[in-house]
Amino acid sequence: MTTHRRTLLAASAGLLAAPRFARAQAETFRIGALNPVTGAGSPYGAGMQRMIVAAVEAINAAGGANGRRIEVFSEDTQTAPQAAVLAAKKLIEVNRVRAILGTWSSGVSLAVIPLTNDADMILMHTSGAPALSVPPANARHLGYRFQATNDRFGRAFAEIAVKEGFRRPATMAFNNASGIGNTEGFRRAWAAKGFQNGVHVVYEPNQPSYRAELLRVLATRPDVIVMGSFLPDTTIILREWFQMGVPVKWIIPAWAANPQLVQALGPAVTEGIIAVDSVSNEGSPAFAAYDAAYRRTMNQPGLSNVYAAMTWDMATTLGLAIEQAKSFETAAINAAIRQVANPPGEGVSTFAEGKAAIAAGRKVNYDGASSVLDFDEFGDVTPDFGVFFIERGQIVRKYVVKI
Amino acid sequence: MLAQLFVAGVVHGLIIGLAALGVTLVFGIARFPNAAAGDTMTVGAYGGLAAYGATGSLLVAGGASVLAAGAASLLGYLLVFRRLAGRSLAALLVAAIGVAFLLRAALGVVFGHQQRVYQVPLAWPIEVMGLRISPMDITLAGVAAASLTVAFLVLYATPIGRQMRAVADDPDLARVSGIHPFRVMAALWLLAGAAAGIAGMMLGIKTVVAPEMGWESLLPAFAAAILGGIGSPVGAVVAGLVLGIAQEVSTPIVGFTYKIALAFFVMLLVLLVRPRGIFGRVEGVR
Repeated sequence: MTTHRRTLLAASAGLLAAPRFARAQAETFRIGALNPVTGAGSPYGAGMQRMIVAAVEAINAAGGANGRRIEVFSEDTQTAPQAAVLAAKKLIEVNRVRAILGTWSSGVSLAVIPLTNDADMILMHTSGAPALSVPPANARHLGYRFQATNDRFGRAFAEIAVKEGFRRPATMAFNNASGIGNTEGFRRAWAAKGFQNGVHVVYEPNQPSYRAELLRVLATRPDVIVMGSFLPDTTIILREWFQMGVPVKWIIPAWAANPQLVQALGPAVTEGIIAVDSVSNEGSPAFAAYDAAYRRTMNQPGLSNVYAAMTWDMATTLGLAIEQAKSFETAAINAAIRQVANPPGEGVSTFAEGKAAIAAGRKVNYDGASSVLDFDEFGDVTPDFGVFFIERGQIVRKYVVKI
Repeated sequence: MLAQLFVAGVVHGLIIGLAALGVTLVFGIARFPNAAAGDTMTVGAYGGLAAYGATGSLLVAGGASVLAAGAASLLGYLLVFRRLAGRSLAALLVAAIGVAFLLRAALGVVFGHQQRVYQVPLAWPIEVMGLRISPMDITLAGVAAASLTVAFLVLYATPIGRQMRAVADDPDLARVSGIHPFRVMAALWLLAGAAAGIAGMMLGIKTVVAPEMGWESLLPAFAAAILGGIGSPVGAVVAGLVLGIAQEVSTPIVGFTYKIALAFFVMLLVLLVRPRGIFGRVEGVR
């Protein structure tokens, strides 16, 4: 009887100990998926997070990066810097992640990057603010941007304005780094083409009326107003403009001129608005792999979420860089990112392909789902831009602009 | 151009004025700065939005926003402020900030953080003496004027209004004269909530409805309450108009970034030069 009990005890102790033993054997490389699941970024955030998880599943299925499985810890930024900082602290201090992927808005990324810099880890984001390219935010060159900068958006706006034959553009910008980045980029590019810039108005958030701002701009009789704006302020400005009865065209970034804007204002107000967004690397094998994963998990086409293609690329690039670096140290991984993403090298579209090529001793060049993904000296990429026209309440893509 | 800005300022000012009316009533009678006034506005905006979405009638929406914000305001009094009566100003202020957080969080949970809009029909402006005014602005100005009329009738032409003013003047004297404090306080919080609710609905129609909208317009309401003389209902409305018009009309000179600062600059000047405000009486501020 006693023996029996002792055996049982020993057996159960063994059972209890076994999983811990197994866990200790398989140490993982931990990353944080810090995305805008709620708040202004909520149309994109859930898909962004799922695609980090899906890309990591693909990496783990291929045997992990440098022999380790990658483990994802997910958090919500609420599209608010305060909440994002708390979540980032939790990821860094409690979950002990070694990289953070997928912050969306500039305000959030600018708030989180000092924390990742101090913790000596890479931050991959989709924000547009030019300030994220340079010191102090990117003093340590640990920040990577998978979206076009606001400055590049501005250059795309200028290409479109020329193509559409506009002559007297005015600009209106929400008073933050992203809004002003858009219009400054446009004005520089417009002036570089030898044209005259029109009036420029910077406006404040949360105003009950933008009548004074609109009166100032419309008094100069522009043929197009180029915006650096967000959804709520764009809603208020366009509604007020329509009720003033002065015809003018609009070029607006697509995160503001989106289906919610059409729903809020109706087809009459939004008719003819030109919405501009970076477009995914459609037609590439990497995009096909991403699209399949997106359809599987989100039940929607991958085209519906440009930011999810970016987060898919983030996880894949990071995995390839770890594989290339043969190390889990941030400095080594950071040095390897451009090696695996930029030319020259054998073009690869998935982690498994890249891993095989690296194992064979070849230099790889990952062509992503979101863009060809070649990082410049600032850690920025240059995607192409889709030009959409709102026609009878539908947002219709007309052509693609390259800068 | 200036006249056009003036018109924009009037509508803006009426919204500030109505919100300030709620703040100043509470300050005059319950004697603390009600930081939950902004979020009471938000409750009104959502209440009106739900009713407008269901019926498409601005009148019903106005009624719903008054009911929703009045109820939220009264509940705040019954559950929190009544129990803290007689505590220090700081305790009441902090409690009010707590109520504000609670309201905002509840709205965020129920309605989400996505922006919502009143799907009001948009119309081209009509010409009034060379001024281009949008029909909605005229409607909103009418709504504000009607609400203010009702509020002032309640304050100055009904027994409960007289009792409220008596309590504001001297609570102890009011009590010994046989005025029941509970009825007065309940009426006060209802009236303050109703004013905030209408302000919230107007702001929601002009802009977009989101859980943070009221909190973000709290400071101008406080500025107007101080400028008008704390505890003075007429002062709050006049000061709201002054601030709204000053902000808009000043933009050709100070620009768009600093027009908000102007309201607070005016408030600072008032506090330094004439602390009792435009209409305030020294004994009204305690």
